[in-house]
Order: sequence, then structure tokens, then C-alpha cells
Amino acid sequence: MEFKKFLTGLQGIVGEANVVFHHDDLLVFEYDGSVDRGLPYAVVFPASTDEVSRVIALAYGAGVPMVGRGTGTGLSGGAIAPPGAIQIAFPRMNHILEVDTENRLALVEPGVINLNLDTHVRKFGLRYAPDPSSQRACSLGGNIAENAGGPHCLAYGTTTNHVLGMEVVLETGEVVNLGSLARETVGYDLRGVFTGSEGTFGIATKIAVRLLPVPESVRTFLGIFPDVESACTAVSAIIENGIVPAALEMIDALTIQAVQKVSDAGYPDDAGAVLLIELEGLQNEVDEIGAEVEAALWDTGATQVRAAESAEEREQLWAGRKGALGALGSIAPNYFLVDGVVPRTKLAQVLGQVAEVSKKYDIPIANVFHAGDGNLHPCLLFDERQPGALDNIVAAGAEVLRICVDAGGTLTGEHGVGLEKKEQMPLVFSEEDMAAMISVRDAFAPDNALNPGKIFPDGVQHTHSAHPAAPGMTV
Amino acid sequence: MESSLGDRLVGLLGSNAVVPVDGYNVDGLTPQAVVRPGNRLQVSEVLRWASAEQVSVLPWGGGTRMGLGNVPRKADLVLDLSRLDRLVDYQPADMTATVEAGVTLASLQEQLAPGGEFVPLESELSSRSTVGGILSVGSGGPLAHAYGLPREWLIGVSVLSADGIATKSGGKVVKNVTGYDLNKLYTGSLGTLGVIVEASFKLLPIDREAGALMASFPSLSSALSAGQKLLHSPAAPMGYQSVTSGASRRLQDSLNAASQDLGLGDPETALSFAFYSGRANATARRLEEGAALLLSAGANAVQRVEGPASNGLLRWITDAPSEMSPRSALMMKLSVPSKAAPSTSAESSDITLFGNRPEQLADPGFGTIRLFWPQAPGGAEEQPFLDAIKQTQQIAHRYGGSAVVEQCPLPIKGNIDVWGDAPDSLAIMRRIKDKFDPAGILNPGRFLGGI
Repeated sequence: MEFKKFLTGLQGIVGEANVVFHHDDLLVFEYDGSVDRGLPYAVVFPASTDEVSRVIALAYGAGVPMVGRGTGTGLSGGAIAPPGAIQIAFPRMNHILEVDTENRLALVEPGVINLNLDTHVRKFGLRYAPDPSSQRACSLGGNIAENAGGPHCLAYGTTTNHVLGMEVVLETGEVVNLGSLARETVGYDLRGVFTGSEGTFGIATKIAVRLLPVPESVRTFLGIFPDVESACTAVSAIIENGIVPAALEMIDALTIQAVQKVSDAGYPDDAGAVLLIELEGLQNEVDEIGAEVEAALWDTGATQVRAAESAEEREQLWAGRKGALGALGSIAPNYFLVDGVVPRTKLAQVLGQVAEVSKKYDIPIANVFHAGDGNLHPCLLFDERQPGALDNIVAAGAEVLRICVDAGGTLTGEHGVGLEKKEQMPLVFSEEDMAAMISVRDAFAPDNALNPGKIFPDGVQHTHSAHPAAPGMTV
Repeated sequence: MESSLGDRLVGLLGSNAVVPVDGYNVDGLTPQAVVRPGNRLQVSEVLRWASAEQVSVLPWGGGTRMGLGNVPRKADLVLDLSRLDRLVDYQPADMTATVEAGVTLASLQEQLAPGGEFVPLESELSSRSTVGGILSVGSGGPLAHAYGLPREWLIGVSVLSADGIATKSGGKVVKNVTGYDLNKLYTGSLGTLGVIVEASFKLLPIDREAGALMASFPSLSSALSAGQKLLHSPAAPMGYQSVTSGASRRLQDSLNAASQDLGLGDPETALSFAFYSGRANATARRLEEGAALLLSAGANAVQRVEGPASNGLLRWITDAPSEMSPRSALMMKLSVPSKAAPSTSAESSDITLFGNRPEQLADPGFGTIRLFWPQAPGGAEEQPFLDAIKQTQQIAHRYGGSAVVEQCPLPIKGNIDVWGDAPDSLAIMRRIKDKFDPAGILNPGRFLGGI
């Protein structure tokens, strides 16, 4: 089909104002939060399931590949347009359709911002638990595609543990419902395998998520440690005591220095690691477990321990952690973020090996991570203006991932494979493993028209482009 | 024919791996042979051979739920996985464990206990139910309100495909989005997509203090609405189950004195159980507030059950469906949104089979209602069964849920889809099955829509 005729067709479905196709207008859709980029053919903003279905049917008929785009905060290139593809984005489908307090669920459109949902349902004493650090900006549709995590996933699980059902549009434009509002359904768990399929199975247009009650009491602890090793010992001590905190986060010395440069988070300049622990539950539960956590922090060598219970004070303790990535901009203009996961007991060992990679490649690496889950986030810092810097970074990042895999871990805990790590999939999965995965995709999308060229190795090198460590970026 | 299949398997794996077929019936069908491999290489060989020979394979764990699902179209070979029963890897500090599929849930919990941890899977008859079987069924238990389903705890799985090829998904770490989440696909697929040989789980620490509340109510509906109030309060239990008095009669016998206090004489009386665990102080506070709440919400009487006795109650409730089974003509399991549980239960209670109303076991938090219609003299006539099944399914569907026939007479079972009406995603499910098992040898016909 001729490009002009195709565009007219899209405009006929969503209205002229809701199709972007001029080169300059498309530039903002070229990026997500990763280092990859790709200019879409056009970007379409549908307003309803029906419009999504008709847009997809039109593109499918025209042989144009498609990719769903949430808000572009993804960190693996998941929303980057494959060559010749249109993007379907959801700023107009951003409605919370229903909050059902008795069933403790919400029905939302894919463009709803994660934090907006959580803020809204808190009026009813409920909350949406998965809280990716980009939650101020990221959308539920994108959360489904990536099976997004977040600090509080330690206790409550990731997105997949909170999705009940979905209405999805398949590559042909066919609309299908997966899961249900009941907790248990008959047949294969299609909403389970759809979640985290990185936009390759279909596009969710309506999502039912579980909500949890807001706990009676929340207490946050901050422990300052002389080094990462002792902070890791504290993590083990807490877990061994039979405590699963709501969140258990760590930042290392380099990150602490960056944070302190930007604004005083109250960390001593010579601190080697900061550990954040959040407990939730009944008041007397939090009191009892809180005392044990505090003791464990002191016993394992903390030089300072602070505790906070009011929302405001807790926010202060979290401020350094939440602003960490943005603060790295004070050290280097760019970063490359790795999302490897290792068994908790291997944390200290792997962080030591990451430090060796830092030396070997002469790259500063700052660590900000979900310690309780063993989900590392080494940030490789660089300046893209220096020739060869990005290639050096990509090579060092690959080495970090190999270390994680060798330690019994894996490539990605919450950011997805996308474009960034597709060639590294063979480190974890055999040809046969991947063939089984692809056969599921074939059942949902036999023509592979949705987000082609992602997740699985195909030898195609994608264009990298570094992006600045801007204050808004989060992990 | 019968001997030839067994003989060929002896030739393939040696005589040790082939066992007598006695006791391995599935829906009245006796397999031609039963094979009990000693390792996963042998499982792979069996599958490769069966695939090539078009021999249907019925994977078998502890054999406790082999009645679930439709009557198989073919039952040539039972593949008993109980010899694959090793705990492969357990690191308490990682709070993860990797086990072979044939280990029983009870044995696994025993092996994890010294590390102070457990796997939050629940199953009837846990000393016989295997990990592989529990994953294949994919259902939870009385604490599903807190723990959800096995899907929430499985972090990695090794599966042998229908033609014997080893594949895996997930891994041994608790957070993982590397590749598609096939763990979810295998869980609850009733062995129709591959044979699970090994699984890795996320674990939880064993809570220090357990306790339960036992309360009697004038009716099941009052028990369920009180339960919903309790579940939405700060004293929310890990799980809340209500049973009709007929279903609780066995318990009544074993807890004679207690049940008299609870005034269980009246046939309308229903009994509720609320299960708690956690730190001592918090558990004590929840038990106290919970008891007060249930009384104010209409309970006749409430009793506290502390410590090990509460674990006994939990085991009894977990096993209740198995205990009810021999006395039941028809058993159905309904899954509805939690809000709809009381109405679903009330409407279902009016459905009679040969004049009998169903006994019920209901979970108003998770939205599961199990119905047990008792055996009746001369109750072999088909139409009343079909009517009761249809009416029940209509109620569940009206509330956005499903109703599965868990037990009914064989002639009737052969004429229905026990899973009820198929959802609109059935076409995708069929395509998945065709990709994973093109020869259609794994549990043929037992799953939804005849998959």
C-alpha cells in the first residue's frame, strides 16, 4: 500500500490530529530509556479498543510492522520502532475505568500512569503494589509488556502477580479476553504468559489489576555501612532472621558521592554503602520486626541507623535512593544500565567482580540496586562524546551480564530483553528453550507483526545512541 | 497388544522401569503399560519413543487428581514420575529451592523446614501429591487468599517436550524477565504441553506463631458475609473458609467437645475457619480482633485454636474435598470474583440433585466455592446431573467466573466438557497445544475444549 494512502487510512480511524508522521515530530518517539533508537514510520494515538483494532488490522493488511509504546521509559529498547514500523501510543487511553473496592481490583486503560493509579486507589485505602522507580511516568500497558518490577516487589511480586485479566488486540486486529476477574480461571494461563511478552503477542487495551489494602503501619530504616560487603552481610542477616521486608535496597559509595553532590541526603561522604529497609504490617508487628532489623544492622557493622514512620520522614530517607540515577549526571554525562540478577548469597561476590570490570575497562560503575531480590543495577558511567566510549561500555556491560549468569543468575530482572540483550539470550537459554518460547509467540502472532526483531538473537546490530543522565531518569 | 507395549518399553528402558498396571486406572481406562523411569533421560527416551509411535502418555505424579479433567481419548501409557524425587538444590539464604517433579509436597516441606522455610504450595493429600502434579493442576488451597496459586511461586521449570526434548524457562532467581514466562503456561496445563521434570521455587520463612478462629453461624450466607468483613479488616486472616454443617460433620466427630460449644446441632448451622500466622504479638492481636469482629458480624460462638491444633484444622480443611469425595455423587468447583462468592453460594444451594442440596466449602476471599451433592439411592439417571451441572455453570458464568466438574459418574463425564464453556481465547490455546504437542500424545482430550 502506498504510504500516503496508508496514512489517510490511519487518519480516517483516529482523526487527523492523532497521527504523527512528519520527521521532526517523530524524533521524540525515536528513543526510550535505553541506548537504542529507531525512527518510527508514524505514531498513532487511538482512543478506544475499536480504534486500536482497526489501526492494527489496517497495518497488518498493509504488511506494516507495529509496536505498542507506553511512555517510553523502558530500559531495553522494547518500545523502539523496528525498521518501517508504526508505533501505537496511548496518551488518549489513560482512564481508570473502575475501582471495585469490594473485589479489590481496578479496571484501567493501558495509558494510565502507574503512580496515578496508586494515588487514586489510596483514597479507598487500597494500593497498586508494583512500583517501578519510573512510576511517576510509566504506564500500565508498558508495565504489562515488560512485567515491570520495583522496590516493593520483594514482598508483593512483580506485575504478573497483580494482573487478573486483560482485553488484548492480536496482530490481525482480533480482540480477545485473557484471564478474568476471578482469581482462578480455566484453560492455559494466557494472561500469565502474555505479561512480559514485550509487546510481541498483542496489545492490551483494558487491564484488570488486583489492589492490596494499605498497611496499618509502615517503617523505613536506613543503615550506613563502611562498605558493600558489610551491607550485604546485613541483608543476609535480615533474611536469615525470617524477615521478608517490603523493600530492601542498596546504593554504593560512588552513588552516595553523586547523591551528596546534587543535594544533601544526609549521607556521610565516606560512607561505603547505604541500605534501605521498609517494613509493613500491623503496628505491633512492625515494632517487633523493626527492633530485630535495627539490631541486625548494628550487629553487621552499621555506623549509623535511622528510622522513620511518618510519610514525610520516610520520603526523606528514600530521597537519596530515588534520586540516585539522576544524580549520577554530576559524575558523568551518560550511563549504561545493566539489570542482571543473581542469587542473594552471591551479591557480595558479584559486586566484587563488577568492580574488577570497572578497573579493567577503566569505567566508573555505580551500583543502585534491589538487594533483597538480588537484582543488580550497575550503572556504567561514560561520556558519549569520547570516541569509542559507547562500544567500550557495551562490551563491559556484556561482561557484567556474563558474571551474573555464571553466578547462577540471569540477564534481566525487570527491564526486559528488548533490543539490548537479545544477542545475549544464548548465555541463558538453549536453541530448544528459545524455540519453545517462539512457538508460543507463533500461537499468538503467527506473522510476527508486533514488535519484530526483539528478545531473540537474530544477529542484527542495532544503532546505539547514548542518552544523558537526566534528572528525570529512574530505575 | 497389551503385552507388546510393555515388552517394547522393557526393551527400551529395562525391566526395572516397567511396573504392573494395577491401580493406575484413569476414568475407568486401564493403560496398556505403566513406566516408572529412574531419571529424566529415561523420561526423555519414553517420550521420544511414544511420540514416534503415536502412543498416548498420561503423566502421573501421586495419582491424587487423576480424575480431574475430561475422560482421556486414549490412555495407552501411564508415565509415573515418582522416582524423580530428589531435592536438587536448596540454599536457605537465597530462599529458593530446586526439586524434581516427583517429590511429594509433604516430603519437600520436611526437607525445607530445617532451613526455617517452606514453599507456599497447598494441596490435598500432601503426603502423596507431588510437586509436578500440583503445578500441572495449578490450584491453591485454603490459604490462597494470602499465597495465591502455584503460579506465584514457580521461578523456573525444566520440561521435557512431547518428543522428549529438554527445555527450560525462568531460572533460580526470584525476579526474572529473561524470555517469555513459560512457567505460567506450564502451571495449570494439566500435563498437556510437556512433562515437568524439575521446578525451582521462591520460598517463605516459616511463621513463628500460628492460630485459628473457629466460628459457628446460623447460616452459610451469614458466615460468608462475616468472612468478607473480616477479610477487609486489619485482622484479616491468611485464609477464611466456611463449610455447611454436613461437610463439617466429620470434624464435629473429631472435635466433639468443641463442636458442642459451637452449637453445631442445627443442620442450617455453618462453620467458619480463619487461619492466622506471623509474629506472636501480631497473631494474638489479629485473633482477638478477629474473634470480636466475627461475633459482632453474627457468629453464634467463636473459639480460638492455638498452636499445632490450628495446623491440624488447616490440614483437615485442605483435605476436606478428598474426604467428601467418596460420599459425593457430584462435585463442582466454582471460581468467581470474591464479591460474588456469597450470592454464588446462595444461588447454588438451591440446585438439587435427586432432591438433595449440595454441601459447601466456600472461600469468600479467593472466590472459590466447592459443591458436593451426596450419593443418592438409584441416582444413576443422567438428566438430573446434566441439569445440575448446567445450572451451576450458568450461575458461575453470570458472575464472571467458571465452574468445573471435579467428580461425577463416568457415563456422564464422557458426555460433557468438565471445564464448562470455553473462553474466546480457546483458539490461541489450541494453537499452543498444536505447537507443543503436534502428535497429540500428552493427556489427549483431558483439558479444556478437548485439548
